[in-house]
Amino acid sequence: PYFLLSPSTPQLSVYVPFPSPREAAIALRSLSPDREPRKGGISKHLALTGSTLSVRWRADEARILRVSVTSFLDHLALVMETMEMFGPPVAL
Amino acid sequence: MTVVIGFEGSANKIGIGIIKDGEVLSNPRRTYITPPGQGFMPSDTARHHRAVILTVLKEALEQAGLKPADIDCVAYTKGPGIGAPLVSVAPVARTVAQLWGKPLLGVNHCIGHIEMGRLITQGNNPTVLYVSGRNTQGGLVIAYSERRYRIFGETIDIAVGNCLDRFARVIKISNDPSPGYNIEQMAKKGTQYVELPYTVKGMDVSFSGILSHIEEASHKMLNSGQCAAEDLCFSLQETVFSMLVEITERAMAHCGSQEVLIVGGVGCNMRLQEMMGVMCKERGAKLFATDERFCIDNGAMIAQAGWEMFRAGQVTELEDSWITQRYRTDEVEVTWRD
Repeated sequence: PYFLLSPSTPQLSVYVPFPSPREAAIALRSLSPDREPRKGGISKHLALTGSTLSVRWRADEARILRVSVTSFLDHLALVMETMEMFGPPVAL
Repeated sequence: MTVVIGFEGSANKIGIGIIKDGEVLSNPRRTYITPPGQGFMPSDTARHHRAVILTVLKEALEQAGLKPADIDCVAYTKGPGIGAPLVSVAPVARTVAQLWGKPLLGVNHCIGHIEMGRLITQGNNPTVLYVSGRNTQGGLVIAYSERRYRIFGETIDIAVGNCLDRFARVIKISNDPSPGYNIEQMAKKGTQYVELPYTVKGMDVSFSGILSHIEEASHKMLNSGQCAAEDLCFSLQETVFSMLVEITERAMAHCGSQEVLIVGGVGCNMRLQEMMGVMCKERGAKLFATDERFCIDNGAMIAQAGWEMFRAGQVTELEDSWITQRYRTDEVEVTWRD
């Protein structure tokens, strides 16, 4: 994955490449349903472009951004490990 | 033939179990245990679950002798519970459901306990006492009626298990295998009954006042040698369990029920089972309880509730599969019973 950090307001974009669009979609659908624990001050948007999962955060403060990003990366790592161990996806 | 795998990790236990038509094929579990005097914190618990969940998943499949293709449905705990661990387990369930091309089912944790209790004990239509450490739901008297598990009585503040666990921290006893188990062992050696507040409020119970009282009393009485920690453990159990027996009996009288089923972690406690047994005998009623494999949070109970829900035609869409810390037992439509 690679990162783009905005120097002005706390924003971050992360781009995660997957072996196929289907696998990127699996990751997105596993990671998107749960709401941010914090009600305000943070927004997170997940999207798909081909085989790449993109995540864009906007936050009021850098520390709020950091908490959300760290948590997301932990869960992303777990999802990717799961896909590695139990993949590839079955034929549809 | 229907095979369901269930993922449970809403508190400090992470368990994954597989059920095939009422048979438990596997049910491995790990518990995150903290040092004496410390409770488990959400993010540490979540980290523990993330570290072991895939190992436990492999064990569940291996011990059942199954391949992913043999599974019909993936069930997981939607809630209630602690946010961080819930949110660490659900993505794994969602991922394997998609990898294996199987439907997903979000299960209510308490209903998992009830359905496992029903399966194991084959009770007809018992009054259920759900007793655990889990807040908002850890002292619940439930009876089934018209497609809902209706709540007849509940704790208005903390769970009974939470009360016991927090007292265990005050007297700094070990959390291994669980604080409640160690309180039970110490209580057996108690010789003195220390009077504590008894707080039943109609159909409901309250434990936070008892906890504050015993926290204060223990500092005074232990320091002055008036009583031993064992006596306090004994007195606390006698008090809170009597309260639970009382509200259970009230619900039984209300429903005309002749059966009691105890589920949840605190249900492992033999003294609670004994006291409930005495009340049941007096009423000519039957008591059902499960052993520590199923009283304590486990994956197979989620699989069992999932089995019932799946066969009744329920499925959870991925977009709707978000976890929730608060999830009342009576919110669920029990479509699998008449």
